[in-house]
Amino acid sequence: MAKESTNNLFRAAYDLFQRIGSTDFEYVYRGYFNHNITKKILILADKNVAKVTDESQSTLQKRIYYIMVEGLQNITHHQEEIANDRNFDKYPGLFAIQKSGERYFITTGNIVANDKVDELKGRLDVINSLDKENLKRYHREILTCGTISDKGGAGLGLIEMSRKSGSKLHYKFEGLDDEFTYFYLQTQLPSDDNDVADESVVHSHCSMEGLMSLHHKMKAENLQLLFNGFFNQENLLSLLAIIKSRSNMPLTTIKISNVMVEMLQNIIKHGAKAEDNNVGARGVFFLGQTGNETILTSGNIIHDDAAGVIAQRLEFVNGMTKEALSDYYDDILLDFDSTDAKKTGLGFTDLRIKSDRPLKYEFQPLDGGGTFYLLQTAIKTTK
Amino acid sequence: MEKLILEETEDTPEIILDPEEGKFKISKISVPENALDFYRPVLDWIKQYAEEPNIQTVFDFDLEYVNTASSKQIIQIILLLQKVSEKGDVKVNWYYESIDEDMRALGARYKKLVTVPFDLVEIE
Repeated sequence: MAKESTNNLFRAAYDLFQRIGSTDFEYVYRGYFNHNITKKILILADKNVAKVTDESQSTLQKRIYYIMVEGLQNITHHQEEIANDRNFDKYPGLFAIQKSGERYFITTGNIVANDKVDELKGRLDVINSLDKENLKRYHREILTCGTISDKGGAGLGLIEMSRKSGSKLHYKFEGLDDEFTYFYLQTQLPSDDNDVADESVVHSHCSMEGLMSLHHKMKAENLQLLFNGFFNQENLLSLLAIIKSRSNMPLTTIKISNVMVEMLQNIIKHGAKAEDNNVGARGVFFLGQTGNETILTSGNIIHDDAAGVIAQRLEFVNGMTKEALSDYYDDILLDFDSTDAKKTGLGFTDLRIKSDRPLKYEFQPLDGGGTFYLLQTAIKTTK
Repeated sequence: MEKLILEETEDTPEIILDPEEGKFKISKISVPENALDFYRPVLDWIKQYAEEPNIQTVFDFDLEYVNTASSKQIIQIILLLQKVSEKGDVKVNWYYESIDEDMRALGARYKKLVTVPFDLVEIE
């Protein structure tokens, strides 16, 4: 960064963007999981995997899908098991899919009761100690004579995850309080059996430690959604569907959705696209909560010479009263002759009207050329 | 006049323009990337309908999400309906969910900008 930003989220967005390759992505959801959200997350993740894998990798794509389903079900099962929802509000679940080079990392996180940790750890260690053949045998054994709980338990899901991925189940327990422990579970595909050695070098931000550190940052900033990847209309619609599924705050949800559509469509339309991908404009998007405000932060590449015009337009809308803005909105609504090129458009005007404070922005030079354009809006949370 | 029916998609609204049934409705979601192209056939249709409209036209907007690009197309639809009102009765209903302040505000904005009878209808 040319000049260190004073905005934590801008700094985080910039760092995240810089650290991944041009065909990589990382999508992280932190919060309450229900059937609907789970479904929408799956759609988002699967579509993105499909976009960057070719036909020869259809088995890989299916396996990733399968692992995601198991992982997400794990979270909802744990959520149900822990009877008191308040604990889940306090310690929300986590789902992450990261792509780094040719490798995919799927990580889930959820609380477990402290007295279950040893048992769970024992199971994971048994699974990790078995080779393919023995894992198959163990699977059959549990199926035929194991005690299967009504949640399909007995570690069947874990065994299947290990079998499908061909990967060890990476896990970490992190003590939270005298009742709960946070359980991280990570699967890597394709199988990591052969190249463990170089892993720390290439994929460090996706490793268990890397992911945990990202999760800790998200907790510190109270981010619920972290999107580091490709902006296209399809992903926008998936994100919209995820936001909509968090049904606890209907009014705020509508406002967030409206603002999100404008912010992201602006990127889809004007964001510079890398030459080596046709998936969309690369960028970062965060959804977070600070006090009684929902904060939406986006970052994307623009051409260096676009910064001046954008700054001018943002200053223009920030400098007006809401009443003046509303009149201006009417003017452009009825102005069918002018091309969008010179005037401040409806998008920024609308964002400023809907945001509960002036639009924050920043420009930062990127190491590989181009300018990183950061934008932030805030919406007051009302139940 | 031939009716125009467009089924809803993930990002475009359901559109029913059916003079025979007396049903005119735009509903659900409107957040297309290219609103101009999407609404062109709709605007063309209404332009033609304005030449020889029904005695009465009740036009319903019942939208959940509208991006700004669509909002600019919708004002054109409403202005065309104003033209329709030169030859027939026209009434526009703008439905919005009681909690959706943004959708109410957008409706109120349109109402202010046009002379055609325009009702804001709260639902739920």
